[in-house]
Amino acid sequence: MLERLAQELPALFGYYNVVFVAKAALATLALSAVGCLVGTALALGLVLVRLTSGWTLAPLRWFAIFFVEVFRRVPFLVTLMLVFFAFQLSGADLPLFAVAAASVCLIASAFLSEIIRAGFESVHRNQWDAAAAMNFGLLTSVRYIVLPQAWRVILPPAFSFFVLFIKDTALASQIGVIELTFAAKVLNNKGFSAALVFGTILVVYFAISYPLARVGAQLEARLAPSRHSRP
Amino acid sequence: MDYTLQFGQVWPYLPRLISGAILSLQIAVLAFCGGLLIGTAGATVKTFGPTWARRAIGGYVVFFTNTPQLVQIYFLYFALPDAGILLSSYTAVLTGMTLNAGAYLTEIQRAGFESRRQSEMEAAEVLGFSRLQQIRYVILPHVARILFPPLSNQFILMTLGTSMAAIFGVEELTGQAFNINAQTFRSIEVFSVTALIYVALTLIASATLGLIGKFAFRAKMRFA
Repeated sequence: MLERLAQELPALFGYYNVVFVAKAALATLALSAVGCLVGTALALGLVLVRLTSGWTLAPLRWFAIFFVEVFRRVPFLVTLMLVFFAFQLSGADLPLFAVAAASVCLIASAFLSEIIRAGFESVHRNQWDAAAAMNFGLLTSVRYIVLPQAWRVILPPAFSFFVLFIKDTALASQIGVIELTFAAKVLNNKGFSAALVFGTILVVYFAISYPLARVGAQLEARLAPSRHSRP
Repeated sequence: MDYTLQFGQVWPYLPRLISGAILSLQIAVLAFCGGLLIGTAGATVKTFGPTWARRAIGGYVVFFTNTPQLVQIYFLYFALPDAGILLSSYTAVLTGMTLNAGAYLTEIQRAGFESRRQSEMEAAEVLGFSRLQQIRYVILPHVARILFPPLSNQFILMTLGTSMAAIFGVEELTGQAFNINAQTFRSIEVFSVTALIYVALTLIASATLGLIGKFAFRAKMRFA
């Protein structure tokens, strides 16, 4: 078996295969980046909606709670299928990448909104009251009072979620988005042995994820102490 | 867009979805228990073991937490037959999930082990506790209280993760949904019912774990 793997090795690392895998890796990264950026924006919106008060906005608040609770409790694969078929129904002729990106955004916004909410809750109640006493509105309080204190608490778990998320995008291969896992399946179908192909792809994922995980660990180490020293 | 949702066609298949949900839960529980064993051993070695063993466990954890579970299972399912090891899809998924869970649970439990305080142990020693009594009455309650919330959180994430088994043809909840979708072509209906079953499943699991945590370990549970 080992000789066979050694024989295949030069062919697998031929120019076109390497370019193919590199492009697939870029697709994986793009998918995660879109999910995280749009997801963060949506998540912030959801948190803000949940912080509003008054009866007029109550339905909106309920929707936000419902959205977060549902999408945190549905597997990514099922969300992917739902979004996939929903786009098919609507008749919108979108590329598969957009479908995958949309479902990635949905899931990311649900999970990130819980992270952001926990960060906001870590800011002392008095700070909110002080902001209210200064006649700050919701947006102003968040912008000038809460976010400057909460970001230290939000950033480490958000970053580890981003890193986790890169690996979750592997499921997008199931609807045919050409990302790393799909590239592995294609190469496997071309006749390269599974051990070699999937081993290589595991290494590529590792090479992407490990440095980011290290950055995340450093962020956590750097931001955590100051969190406790705050009065 | 002229499509009428027809949930009526999905209801007859509900028993199959429910049996799939039970299989999902079974996979999650088995993988979690296996992972807990690996994790406990791994965390013990990582906290108290010799340097080479710590490095080995560290390598295992770093590798499994930095690569996608899906590709790990692909590797087990498609690459091991080359080496003469033929796993059924169920075994491959279970093995992959267990190994993956073991890595995450090692990390979680290591953090818990490190939270024990030297002063606590010394206090127990002053009171004349034996080593075993120290573990039973001081360390275990303390560590369990700290560890219970992140462990139950991991269990919920793993329950969602079992949907991956569908890709390998295991007929758990998502697998049944794929089958029923292929039979009825009522995709939206089938998958939204499936999604709701997952929501119900994880809500029940969270509530149960929350009660256990509250009464058995006095853990501070935060289930929104």
